[in-house]
Amino acid sequence: MAQDKPPLARIPAALQRYGLAVVSVGAALGIALLLGQYRFRGVEFPLFLFAIALSVWYAGIGPGIVAVLLSSVAFDFFFTEPLYTLYVRTSEVPYYILFILFASLLAWFSALRRRVEMALVRSRDELQQEVELRTQQASLLDLTHDTIFVRDMNHVITYWNRGAQELFGWTAEEALGKHSRQLLRTVFPVAIEEIERELLRTDRWEGELERAKADGTAVVVASRWSLRRNDEGIPVAILETNNDITQRKRGEEEVLKLNQKLGERTTELEAINKELEAFAYSISHDLRAPLRHVVGYAEMLEKNASKVLDEKSRRYMTTILESAKRMGILIDDLLAFSRIGRAETRQTLVSLDQLVKEVRSEVAQETDARNISWKVGALPELYGDRSMLKLALVNLISNAVKFTRTRTQPQIEIGCAERPSDGVVMFVKDNGVGFDMKYVNKLFGVFQRLHRADEFEGTGIGLATVQRIIHRHGGQVWAEGLVDQGATFFFSVPSQRR
Amino acid sequence: MDLFGRILMVEDDPRDRELTMTALEEYNLSNEVVIAVDGEEALDYLYHRGKFTGRVNGNPAVLLLDLKLPKVDGLEVLQQIKSDEKLRMIPVVVLTSSREERDMVASYKLGVNAYVVKPVDFHEFVNAIKELGVFWAIINEPPPGSIKKK
Repeated sequence: MAQDKPPLARIPAALQRYGLAVVSVGAALGIALLLGQYRFRGVEFPLFLFAIALSVWYAGIGPGIVAVLLSSVAFDFFFTEPLYTLYVRTSEVPYYILFILFASLLAWFSALRRRVEMALVRSRDELQQEVELRTQQASLLDLTHDTIFVRDMNHVITYWNRGAQELFGWTAEEALGKHSRQLLRTVFPVAIEEIERELLRTDRWEGELERAKADGTAVVVASRWSLRRNDEGIPVAILETNNDITQRKRGEEEVLKLNQKLGERTTELEAINKELEAFAYSISHDLRAPLRHVVGYAEMLEKNASKVLDEKSRRYMTTILESAKRMGILIDDLLAFSRIGRAETRQTLVSLDQLVKEVRSEVAQETDARNISWKVGALPELYGDRSMLKLALVNLISNAVKFTRTRTQPQIEIGCAERPSDGVVMFVKDNGVGFDMKYVNKLFGVFQRLHRADEFEGTGIGLATVQRIIHRHGGQVWAEGLVDQGATFFFSVPSQRR
Repeated sequence: MDLFGRILMVEDDPRDRELTMTALEEYNLSNEVVIAVDGEEALDYLYHRGKFTGRVNGNPAVLLLDLKLPKVDGLEVLQQIKSDEKLRMIPVVVLTSSREERDMVASYKLGVNAYVVKPVDFHEFVNAIKELGVFWAIINEPPPGSIKKK
């Protein structure tokens, strides 16, 4: 029954253990008696010793003692003269004592031997477990695609995982035992002494290294080193993990280059912008002064010489003055137009309703005398630059007022055309002289006019200004019209804050 | 040149000077005007230097200042006046062609008392100059230390 169990497992239950002792001794007795029948003498002694050894081995010291006692009794009863009595002759006593001593010694040896064997087995098991664990860990390190390798303090590679093989192209067999710096032809960013100093001081180092693959191509890695010390604190190995950052590095270089280019472009643009600003400034200053002089002196001349001037000369004077004034207006409009492009927009929540009211009161002087029928719908609020949006509305509304001048029943409608999810579309509609859709593309150009100056005055900058303002708000302007049927101007402004 | 002006006009352009004087004449203010043709002369007048050495004591009741001037420009003159304890009370009116916001902002930051853009239209120009002259030389009570009215 003991054979089914692991070799050193003890029989657990006390009854079975003592039973084993009894059965073993009984069996030894039976075999000895059986052999006695065939005149085999003297086999009882080793048989009983075997039964005792068996009991001690499998059942422990207690059952061993029982086996010794039972064996002694059985030996006395069956095999020593006088047979079949427990009587012991004095001459036999030393023989008995010797037997018991010998049996006890055997039992003791057996127990000792067993303990030693147990200890051995235990340490073997532990060793096996350790080996299994290490193997498992090593294969785990092989699972990762990160490059991991270990080298000793002489830079000889002692461990090389699969990630290292993937990155550098050398197999573990090729790499193990090689000098890491020579194998990988490492280029350090700083002096190696400095790196080693830091490694010894902090037990770690991090940095970017340039290395060579098996096929000779260069690779840039982000490398982390960890120093391993033994129990005495003496450094024994360095564990390195490497990550391939060649692509990232190349990308960074590209970004750097692009940024540089962008910087150059920005500087160029800034210079151009400055030039433009200087240009506008100089127009503002220097162009207006001579114009003012033309007007001023022409006025004074007219005043002083009006008596001596004939009708024709007076008309010349008037034309000079009008032209100069017109040029003044043009300069002002042009400057305002260029300012829209240069000025920063200041975004606030603007009520279109309020803006339209303000603009209408500004044009009231001109419209009061006329019987314009206004139709203003509900208007939303939007994010934008208030003064710019107002300027756009001034242009659109005063255009509507201007181009309905010839109508007996002028109508101007202002409203919100639709409410797309992402913004506002507003329109200003009139029943004025309108325009030919053929020329719709020219409407928003600077200095583009679809009417003669003697029909409707204007500089041709108004709608260009509107377009520039709306574009700066990220929106669009467009128009629909028919000759003599009126015109509708639309603009959209995205609702999100820009 | 009259050295006893109550209006100091700093203007480099002779045509602008003539137009301004014509406007001031209508209110008989022209004989109150001292002219400086650039920023340096303006400061010379205020500090009794150069050709203004030995002029009668006292500050002008108002200074009409163009911004674009040779040598020392208008903003520099303004800065000098407003940072000098003896001069800072002089009312300074910038009279310029420039409608540029940055000129306006710079002037107000330096403490200008008024900023007037010269209108292109002559009538408007004359009106503006007249009103300026009347307000600063007649209506406004100048700070103590100004040259007294004749």
